[in-house]
Amino acid sequence: MNDMTRREAEITATAIKISARNAQVYYGDNHAIKDVDVDIHDRMVTAFIGPSGCGKSTFLRCLNRMNDTIPSCRVEGRITLDGEDIYDKRVDPVQLRAKVGMVFQKPNPFPKSIFDNVAYGPRIHGLTRSKAELDEVVETSLRRAALWKEVKDRLHQPGTGLSGGQQQRLCIARAIATSPEVLLMDEPCSALDPIATAQVEELIDELRAQFSVVIVTHSMQQAARVSQRTAFFHLGNLVEFGETTQIFTKPRDPRTESYITGRIG
Amino acid sequence: MILLVVLALAATGFLAGRARALKTAGGDPRDLHSLPGYHGQMVLLFTAVPALLLMAGWVLIQPAVIERNAAAVLTPADIPSGSSAALVMSDVRRIAGGLDALAAREGLSEAGVAALGADSGGLRDRLGAVGVALGGEVGPGVFEAANLYRTETRGGRTAMTVAVALTALGGLFLSLRRIRPDLRARNVSESFVLALLIGSSLIAVLTTVGIIASLLFESLNFFRLYPIKDFLLSLTWNPQFRGGSELGIWPLLWGTLYVSLIALLVATPIGLMIAIYLSEYASKRTRTIVKPAIEILAGIPTIVYGLFALVTVGPMLRDYFAQPLGLGSSSSSVMTAGLVMGIMVIPFVSSLSDDIINAVPQSLRDGSLGLGATPSETIKQVVLPAALPGVVGAILLAASRAIGETMIVVMGAGAAAKLSLNPFEAMTTVTVKIVSQLTGDTEFASPETLVAFALGLTLFTITLALNIFALYIVRKYREQYE
Repeated sequence: MNDMTRREAEITATAIKISARNAQVYYGDNHAIKDVDVDIHDRMVTAFIGPSGCGKSTFLRCLNRMNDTIPSCRVEGRITLDGEDIYDKRVDPVQLRAKVGMVFQKPNPFPKSIFDNVAYGPRIHGLTRSKAELDEVVETSLRRAALWKEVKDRLHQPGTGLSGGQQQRLCIARAIATSPEVLLMDEPCSALDPIATAQVEELIDELRAQFSVVIVTHSMQQAARVSQRTAFFHLGNLVEFGETTQIFTKPRDPRTESYITGRIG
Repeated sequence: MILLVVLALAATGFLAGRARALKTAGGDPRDLHSLPGYHGQMVLLFTAVPALLLMAGWVLIQPAVIERNAAAVLTPADIPSGSSAALVMSDVRRIAGGLDALAAREGLSEAGVAALGADSGGLRDRLGAVGVALGGEVGPGVFEAANLYRTETRGGRTAMTVAVALTALGGLFLSLRRIRPDLRARNVSESFVLALLIGSSLIAVLTTVGIIASLLFESLNFFRLYPIKDFLLSLTWNPQFRGGSELGIWPLLWGTLYVSLIALLVATPIGLMIAIYLSEYASKRTRTIVKPAIEILAGIPTIVYGLFALVTVGPMLRDYFAQPLGLGSSSSSVMTAGLVMGIMVIPFVSSLSDDIINAVPQSLRDGSLGLGATPSETIKQVVLPAALPGVVGAILLAASRAIGETMIVVMGAGAAAKLSLNPFEAMTTVTVKIVSQLTGDTEFASPETLVAFALGLTLFTITLALNIFALYIVRKYREQYE
């Protein structure tokens, strides 16, 4: 994938990492996503907002082909990562997902120790050559997920024994341990209390230095706080996409305005 | 007969109760606390339940009482030497039955029947004519006891009929009179249903307790005749019908464990792989066809598996493995029984494991796939470890099924109790020996027979422990994701 030269046109102030053109998603006969065009910039946080069932999670899952696991789901259009079509037959979805990591709505630590949870990705992808190197990757990942201080003395206890907020940060550490290029987050804070949410948001802001982050959220405040660009979805359509400040202060589309002010949704 | 009467009364009670309830409410069911049907049900229950309980109690107690009365008539002189009171009493019962038949056939009056006792020689022939063959003359004491037995039985039966009918009628009228619009008939009939439900579960529990009690009791009898130390520690199983047997459990226990071990070695990998295929890879359509097809295996009678072991697997193993390898020339072997039993328990492992693997949350699979793991890595590293406790539980349940299996072992592994490591040798298991010791020709009170109960108790303890352990593991696992 990397050996392809990026198209000159796509290089803007910050490079475009993922771009979707005319994307369509069907669940059986149900047309869930209609004509979505989105550019995800590198080293930026992009937020997807919209009412429940508007297709933002579905679209997010298209970006690392997680929808492949749903038999009735069909994706059309062109979605590219670094200029290469990710739905091309030659692309291995497994490799793709190693590059485009994902954090889910509900914390889902594996029933393994904290260490093994974080080491899972590096191990299956053979990213480390020695035990010492693996230890280091685990430690840096946990540090970056702001979890190291809390768990450094209990690395070999089960990850399921942590609190909800810690579990979610563990899942984030697990995702960044694979050193992905893009991190997809599907409502990562919906199961967390305000304190844990604040920690995760802070973390997202730090992650922006290395990755491009896409976050789906129901909380408009959260989108406003953490993201630089925001996309508003409604009924499977991308209604508006632009700078976060512009979306929240001067929305162009009347539907965006009424959603942000709480009149629809 | 009386049963029909009670049921008819109860049915009448239902109709009458319903009608009366409606009438007390002036024909408007809305004024009743409970629907008319509930009033009917209440009357029905009050009519039938006490009457039937009385009847059941009476039927259970009456024979014991009469037997005691009849036995009281017998003097020591009536019991011939070399016989016992119990044997004479069974004669008494048979003569009583014969007298009834005789009276019915010859139209004898009570006095006529009583007079029969005078002619004891003729009585024997006449009783023989109605199908009651006796070993000797009927002594006067025995005859008297038999006649008493007979009259009391008849009297008791009449009394019971009357009492039951009266109870039913009494219940019917009392409950009919209780019917008022504000009577909570619905609650009454619902608490009866509750009692019924509790009663049903009690039956299951009491049966278990009863089985354990009878096993324990007979085992104690056995250990009074045979030292428990030898039973548990001796390595020889050699029952002699003339006494002086060696009844060590180890050869049998070894056979049981060996056969079960082979069965599990066959069933666990195959069953687990089936489960993984069904729950992770198979399409919905394949699954709906394959799963029931595998479960058919569990429905095959074990005797059919036994035949399969005897005529197909056994000779095949002997010809292709045992003889070329020089390990034996017997077609019945531990291997045969173990293999066939393994096939039998595959559905236990596969079906339960499939359910358990399915219960692993999809979010864990998504999490692993989202990190770029392949489906197979996900199964090996995430799904199976998460399902492991449940799978172990499934295997243990299959093990307790295998340990209790008899038919396949009889036909596949033979009946020779042996302590050997060679899987191609004939061995036998605890269950097989229980059958052969109990169906033998020895006296019931001998250690050779009673050992069956001690063996049963051992087996029961092992499977019970396995089951409890398995259920504990399965339950612990279930809680993890709720």
